[in-house]
Amino acid sequence: MQTIICSHCDLVSQKPILAPGYVAKCARCERILYKNKAVNANKLFALSITALLICIPAFSSPLISIHLLGVTEEANLLQGAIMMIDIAPLVSFVVLFCAVVAPTLLTVCIAFSSGCVVFNKRPSLLNSVLKLTAILFHWSMLEVYLVSFMVAVFKLISYADVYFNSGLYFFVALLILNMTMLCEYSNTKYWEYSRNE
Amino acid sequence: MSKLLKPGISAMQQGTQLCRVCTMDSSISANTTHCPYCGSPISVRIKHSQQKTWALLLTAMVFIIPANLYPITYLLKNSTLYPDTIFSGIISLFESGMIGIALIVFIASILVPILKIIALSFISLAVHFQWQLSPKKQLFAFKIVDWVGRWSVLDLFVISIMVAVFDKGNFLSVYPGIAATSFTVVVITTLFAAQSFDTRLIWDANTNAK
Repeated sequence: MQTIICSHCDLVSQKPILAPGYVAKCARCERILYKNKAVNANKLFALSITALLICIPAFSSPLISIHLLGVTEEANLLQGAIMMIDIAPLVSFVVLFCAVVAPTLLTVCIAFSSGCVVFNKRPSLLNSVLKLTAILFHWSMLEVYLVSFMVAVFKLISYADVYFNSGLYFFVALLILNMTMLCEYSNTKYWEYSRNE
Repeated sequence: MSKLLKPGISAMQQGTQLCRVCTMDSSISANTTHCPYCGSPISVRIKHSQQKTWALLLTAMVFIIPANLYPITYLLKNSTLYPDTIFSGIISLFESGMIGIALIVFIASILVPILKIIALSFISLAVHFQWQLSPKKQLFAFKIVDWVGRWSVLDLFVISIMVAVFDKGNFLSVYPGIAATSFTVVVITTLFAAQSFDTRLIWDANTNAK
């Protein structure tokens, strides 16, 4: 008899036999015990490579521009984080990490591990990459950034005329790709692959 | 898997531990330091979970005071400096008729950090003093705290966008204030506090829960 341990409450359960796409919940704490996700590594590999390409314009092209007394000023995602580095280094570091570094690194990690599955390789680096992926999940905050962006736009409207720029479209595309990727991805399945089960 | 486990009781009582990295189970006595499957450090419960959570929570409690009292941004307009605290920013949004936006900022910057500190402290106290409360409700509260916590970074992102837009300082420029750093400390410490809290302790403390 196969058993499984709940990571939320430590209860031992029988390992359920699930059809793909179904989720088993713990009898005691009612949290997710096991998900039988059908992970498509090819799809994830393609999505992550696309996301990596889109990262470049999304972070470096201007998101908005404002017109104030005849002067036009543009702003991109990286600028905002880097410009505060002298005045408030901690704020700058957190913004840079949560909005740029973590999502990019997460995409690189998923690209790497999916690539391993696609080309049927098990390098020793794979375990470390999977560990890193689990940590980065918490810190990738692109969706929070988009909402913050909207809040900032509403604040700016009272000072100047605001125009959306190309960077915003790239950013939204990146967000959608990122969300799709995270929905498709399953750390458990990749660990199973890494152990050659 | 070394031996068969009995469903319905906790793994710890059966001498088995779960690796939080690769979700494999192994014997507690045979693997005291590292998971035999993925090689990461392993322990039955997160090591010093309560101490870490309390240390981070206390730091957050200290820093939440300057974060709310000092100005979070300075607006330089016609060579006059206008300071703005978190709360005065919300008030001015509210007065200019953007009630929805004001509400989002209020929830993300004031309500969430305070609720997070209160909820985590309460759950930690309940675990420490073994208050026999419903473990399911405690876990539910913890999961809300965990999920909602990331949204308090919102204010930091807003500051970074405002600073980037008003950078050349022609007529207007925006600078982050002392509170911005304090607020960052609050956000980071509460996020880490939630991560270092081990939810399995809730069930360990509830001796009569099944």
